[in-house]
Amino acid sequence: MMTCRELAEILLDFVTGELPPELCRRLEQHLRLCSACSAYLDSYRTTTALPRWLPPAPLPPRLTTRLRMILDLECRVRDDRAEGGGGGEPAA
Amino acid sequence: LTAEQVFVQYAPRVYNLARRMLGNATDAEDVTQEVFLQVVRKLPTFRGEAAFPTWLYRVTVNAALAYRRHRAVRAAHHVRDPLEDFLESGQHRAPVRRWVAAPEKAALDRETHQLIEDAIARLPDIYRDVYVLADVEELPNAQVAELLGLSVAAAKSRLHRARLLLRAALAPHFEERAA
Repeated sequence: MMTCRELAEILLDFVTGELPPELCRRLEQHLRLCSACSAYLDSYRTTTALPRWLPPAPLPPRLTTRLRMILDLECRVRDDRAEGGGGGEPAA
Repeated sequence: LTAEQVFVQYAPRVYNLARRMLGNATDAEDVTQEVFLQVVRKLPTFRGEAAFPTWLYRVTVNAALAYRRHRAVRAAHHVRDPLEDFLESGQHRAPVRRWVAAPEKAALDRETHQLIEDAIARLPDIYRDVYVLADVEELPNAQVAELLGLSVAAAKSRLHRARLLLRAALAPHFEERAA
């Protein structure tokens, strides 16, 4: 019979449905007899889902200020180039 | 796509991806600034808005990896194989208990969010990169592998180990108490 470690090694393919049928059958057989692995599988599935529920962190105010400065500076450079005729030369 | 739109729509995504890859908010600020500068400068020559998110992932991942490579002090640490949690006989080394009712989005309080973020931050770099891209950003394995310069098989193997390590780190907090 498949060992608990062997089962743990192939869980990723099992949860994504990519396991060959014969291995899948042996894994399910092991799960029916091993409550530890059944609990292990449930917690593995939860672990894969957990990060999707994490809220994104807002931009820190200091970073927002830095990015705004870059934005303003780049816009000004672009405007200057446009006024200079688009040839890349600085305006006289 | 304008630079202003990039700032509003994408800067938070870049920041959060960098923060989780680097496990550090201050480093993520530097990387976000660098990515933003690169993107804003190249934007006038960029064609194809549909491909923008893919390009942005590439720029951000490359910047985060480069930042990490250049960090002055890097503590070399042993990368633990989570499959060491099994005995030679193949059985679990320690008892495995069920987790309390699956923590769902609504039930995750701020403290639990922090617990999970800290556990992700403590993953070894090679596992955290794959985990963040695959399970947090939900990118397909082929794209994760391509972004990190790995084979798909190597990316999947690292993802699996990352999940096992994270599961082991979180288990003490989520397992039902022994009767």
